[in-house]
Amino acid sequence: MQTFAVEMKGLTKKFGSFTALDRLSLGIEMGTVHGLLGPNGAGKTTAIKILCGLLRASGGEGFVLGKRVPDRSILQEIGYMPQETALYLDLTAHGNLTLYGELFGLSKSRIAEREKDLLDFVALQKWKDSLVSNLSGGMKHRLSLACSMIHEPRLLFLDEPTVGVDPELRASFWEYFDLLKRKGVTIVLTTHYMDEAQHCDRIALLRQGQLLAEGTPVDVVKSAGATNLEEAFLALANRGEARP
Amino acid sequence: MNIHRALAITRRIFRGLRHDRRTVALMFLAPIVAMCVFGLAFSGDVEDVNVVVVNLDNATVPVSQIIISNLDKEVLKVTFAPDVDEGVRRVKEGDAYAVIIFPERFTESLLMKRSDPSYEGDTTIQVREDRSNVNVANAITKSVTDAILLTAKQAGQDLPMKVDAEDAIYGKGAKFMDFFVPGIMAFVVFMLTTLLTLISFVGERTAGNLERLQSTPLRESELVVGYAIAFSIIGMLQTVVLLVIGVAAFDIMIVGNIVLAFAVIALLAIVSLSLGILLSSLAKREAQAIQFFPLIVLPTFLLAGIFWPVEAIPQWLRPLSYLIPPSYAVDATRSVMLRGWGIGEIWVDILALCGFAAAFLTVAILSLKRGRR
Repeated sequence: MQTFAVEMKGLTKKFGSFTALDRLSLGIEMGTVHGLLGPNGAGKTTAIKILCGLLRASGGEGFVLGKRVPDRSILQEIGYMPQETALYLDLTAHGNLTLYGELFGLSKSRIAEREKDLLDFVALQKWKDSLVSNLSGGMKHRLSLACSMIHEPRLLFLDEPTVGVDPELRASFWEYFDLLKRKGVTIVLTTHYMDEAQHCDRIALLRQGQLLAEGTPVDVVKSAGATNLEEAFLALANRGEARP
Repeated sequence: MNIHRALAITRRIFRGLRHDRRTVALMFLAPIVAMCVFGLAFSGDVEDVNVVVVNLDNATVPVSQIIISNLDKEVLKVTFAPDVDEGVRRVKEGDAYAVIIFPERFTESLLMKRSDPSYEGDTTIQVREDRSNVNVANAITKSVTDAILLTAKQAGQDLPMKVDAEDAIYGKGAKFMDFFVPGIMAFVVFMLTTLLTLISFVGERTAGNLERLQSTPLRESELVVGYAIAFSIIGMLQTVVLLVIGVAAFDIMIVGNIVLAFAVIALLAIVSLSLGILLSSLAKREAQAIQFFPLIVLPTFLLAGIFWPVEAIPQWLRPLSYLIPPSYAVDATRSVMLRGWGIGEIWVDILALCGFAAAFLTVAILSLKRGRR
């Protein structure tokens, strides 16, 4: 019985002499929302890219839905939202969603159903036929999220899904993530916002490619002897610095 | 290979074009403008060249006058000067490209020589040209020579031998445009397809679209095939436009099976787009991609046999021509359209294009996969 949706065992990634990911070991349980936290260059995006098969690990192993990555057979079941907009500006919102629906082999009617649901969720219904190049940054971001969910993936990798999204909509995002979670969807996301991390079931604090701490947000704060996540991160980072 | 996913990519390209009128205009107006501008400018005919005639012949019925009247008036615009110095001065000052000098007693010497070949009088028509423009100078020389031959013929002094090039085996009555259109077709499709795929793939890479695509079940080969289908259709549409205008405006010659010419162009489009994808992996930004442009255009322009045959390229440069894919497409489309050749005759060209397509496609797909390192 597989319990982990994602498992990393000593996952390492080097770009030349730079180590982006340093023996990262982490298990992410099915049906949870797991946050990868850390400053720029902590290795959050690199980890996600390896798990999605976009990069090859230099060492260690990664497992997604029980398969050792890279494995094409998991692609149908995962959704990936890159940090960049990654949308076709010369297509409408509808055009972008249709493309990804078709690539995942959805029928026309299914694409139409999903498109309606998702555009309602990201509040872009009335922009359906607008060119993406005419949408605002936040709108693009929401559409990008919708594109990564068109095929109802069991596992979602979201790289900074809430950047540039206004607070109201951000709150609704978290409600939606909760809803997905109740349906059994696993969500792995990265974020800069420490306050947002409170919504995650578990978090992993990363720094310079290494795991600083892992656990529920409350546990992580407690173990660092801090009062909030921000403090916890700074405390843990300093401890890491003091290590020989 | 899942053709549905490849076709999803094809559809997305056409959907994108629906909203991108500028690119569509580039795709279809650029070929038309290129054909008209080049076609008219390079029509091969030199016209309205200023020349000065200095006629020192003082006969009462001068033969020189007949020769002058036989000069091709479409090529040469004749003015007269009283003496050699004045004629030379006008060439020196750039008012004319040549001074044509008939010597004193030209007619008299001519008549004397007919009865006595050892007669010493001067019958040389001196043509002093500004050879800084060789094409123009050659046209002047030819025009004067033709006028002499015509005059001799009128006087019943026809040469006892002649050349007849009227009954051509291929391309009977062909004009420069007939030669040129197949070339410009291949050139335009090659250039625009390479450029557009280059730019659009650099965009795919930088905007993160490629990564998102690669996180779906889409394979790199399906992505490339999707592009190939779209751009071969676009290439064929461009060809149709060029041919319609070629026939309507320039009355170009099409003797062969035009479908075969389309197939060759589609094949060239596939070669071109794989080249574009390949080059895109070398560019980090669109601005860098543009720098490849001269690299693609210039050699093709000069060496692919579009404006002049490969035979007119220096021997040591010719191997380069054979390394440029459009060379084969130009040769094949020209052979089909002007010679009426079929697949049995152009198979070498087709084979070469297939070879380029297979090699470039493979490397293009590999270059996309390499991103996953």
